[in-house]
Amino acid sequence: MKIPIHISEESREPIYHQIETQIKTMIATGQLPPETPLPSIRALASDLGCSVITTRRVYQNLEIAGYIKTIQGKGTFVRRLEEEQLHHTKQKAVYDAFEKAVEQGLQLGCTKVELDTIFKEVVNKYYS
Amino acid sequence: MGNTSMIQIEGLTKKFKRFTLGPLDLKVERGIIVGLVGANGSGKTTIFRLIMNLLKEDSGKIHLFGETKEEVEWKKRVGYTGELLEAYDFLKIEDIKNYLSRWYSKWNEDKFHKLVKRYKIDIREKFGKCSKGTKKKIEFIFALCHEPELLLLDEPTAGVDLVSQRKMKEDLIEFMENGERSILLATHTVDEINQLCDEVVVLESGRVVHQYNKDDIYDQWARIWVSNVPEIIKKHHHTIHYEIGPAQIITDQVSVFEEILHENKVEIHQIQRLSMEEVLEFLIEGSED
Repeated sequence: MKIPIHISEESREPIYHQIETQIKTMIATGQLPPETPLPSIRALASDLGCSVITTRRVYQNLEIAGYIKTIQGKGTFVRRLEEEQLHHTKQKAVYDAFEKAVEQGLQLGCTKVELDTIFKEVVNKYYS
Repeated sequence: MGNTSMIQIEGLTKKFKRFTLGPLDLKVERGIIVGLVGANGSGKTTIFRLIMNLLKEDSGKIHLFGETKEEVEWKKRVGYTGELLEAYDFLKIEDIKNYLSRWYSKWNEDKFHKLVKRYKIDIREKFGKCSKGTKKKIEFIFALCHEPELLLLDEPTAGVDLVSQRKMKEDLIEFMENGERSILLATHTVDEINQLCDEVVVLESGRVVHQYNKDDIYDQWARIWVSNVPEIIKKHHHTIHYEIGPAQIITDQVSVFEEILHENKVEIHQIQRLSMEEVLEFLIEGSED
């Protein structure tokens, strides 16, 4: 029951947030369809090399946000998302990815105009 | 009961001719695995022996399950691997089992047979005839079969083959599944810290010198590549290490350092988390200087 989560060595984003975002994205894209069983907090912590304090927090947050459900004695499962929530999660994932790219540009000293040009070029490359 | 610590040690001391343990405080909470690391001779085994009453402390208090150890009953709730079986090395493993299992009201015979099969142990062999790794596996099995709530594991995988090490890790994860049990694990193996532990306690010359939640290590320890290393950083007590070419700083307080570097107009080229292996080396080596 391994799920493909990657904790970045470079990102300054706290670990619990990285895990949470990646699970949300996997649920939104259908990579983890509704009713998929998720690993226990202990097994997930072991896979990712973090503590159960972190994985427990992730599952609690995901449960409150309606992404997963825990059934006593059976485990944790993916919930079916509402259309609106699905849309929102997808938007958020794309937004975050853009933000990271802009941060990288800023770090390398790009101007706003340069970034705009690059953005348009890349979009045109994929949406011709 | 829910919030009671599984182990609570306060002001523990024990003096030997050439070594003094403590004064030492240590806490292991329910549902948590605490990794005990430190150089050879730093006192890990002594702590286990004091908890198990194999040694008598000079001063201090040890509470298990929220109680003092006056009643003998607590031993049935603890699984310990630490050369206890050496006393029976003239016996066959099945005879040791017959002898010890009588003592435990919760002895799980099925589990015993499942585990000896899983670890390929021949129970008709005399314990004393077994290799070092096999003895470790047998101790591990005996620690688990009376359904304890707390495991005290003193380098359980030392000398154990790779496949069995993996199986032991799986068994420990399963042991922890219900969230009500705890483990105190002395280890020199980074993989065990990574895959099993929630907290890390660093021991040096009989004292606890560091105690971290493992995720704080990931979040707060970092290597920062910078344009230059300012004086204030060189002397800062959260600077673990720095180098000049290429200029880089290792810190256990990366968010604080980001601010300091910003204020001092130092350019940050890159920030990277440290691997657990690197951190442990700094913690164990660094404390020796």
